[in-house]
Amino acid sequence: MTQLTHIGPKRFFRAVALVGVSGGVGAVVRDLLLKFQPTANAYDWTSHIPWVLTAINLSGIFLVTRILIGPLRHHTFNSESRLFWVTGFFGGYTSYSSLFVTLGAIWHLSVPASILTALVIIGASIAAGAAGVIGAKK
Amino acid sequence: MTLLLVGIFGGLGCIVRYVMEFLVRLWHPTRRPWGTVAANFLGTVLAGWAVYRLSSPIDAHLHSVIVTGFCGGLTTASSALAIPVLLAKSHHWKYSAALIITSPLLCALGFVLGMGLASH
Repeated sequence: MTQLTHIGPKRFFRAVALVGVSGGVGAVVRDLLLKFQPTANAYDWTSHIPWVLTAINLSGIFLVTRILIGPLRHHTFNSESRLFWVTGFFGGYTSYSSLFVTLGAIWHLSVPASILTALVIIGASIAAGAAGVIGAKK
Repeated sequence: MTLLLVGIFGGLGCIVRYVMEFLVRLWHPTRRPWGTVAANFLGTVLAGWAVYRLSSPIDAHLHSVIVTGFCGGLTTASSALAIPVLLAKSHHWKYSAALIITSPLLCALGFVLGMGLASH
């Protein structure tokens, strides 16, 4: 298991740079896509539903599952391809914290709606991961 | 300008998450993503704090940089939910279920904790 982490300082700093650059690009792509989210109405919880963020997260989960089961199947945690795509790009592209910021806003308007939204999104996320597994098998 | 800063801080968030995951695996070699769970918790605490403290329109720019940029990079939905699916595929049902259940609950707790810390 030690091969998972034992890398020299030079390779470690290269990994940090790779994750930083690809993660930054992923974050920029997410921020640009989030501009398509309609403006929320202060009194209507349905207007706070994070459609765009959910689409971003679902696509990210689907693609990460698919590449981890396919092209990057035998790549260890510190392999450059895995650092670039999984830890970096898709790590920056998807966001868990923004989801909770939105759920917090819905919570202030309707507690059941917030819980329901969270459950539906988590269920859809698991389905996206499962679709990635099934897609990779074909 | 904000977009550039979101990219820079998003990259920094990803680096912090990678270092956390790296250190967890260094001390306790594992294929389980506990470093990612910890990063998601830390990111939601910070996001909760920022949402409470940076709610004024004057802070909109800083809010974007911290919440969308840094917290967005620090937290990840892709690894947090793809890894449990892959664990389930290899019949590690307990780990998979534990990750799927604990991650959102911890993050919800982290968000509330962050808001609580900001209000004091």
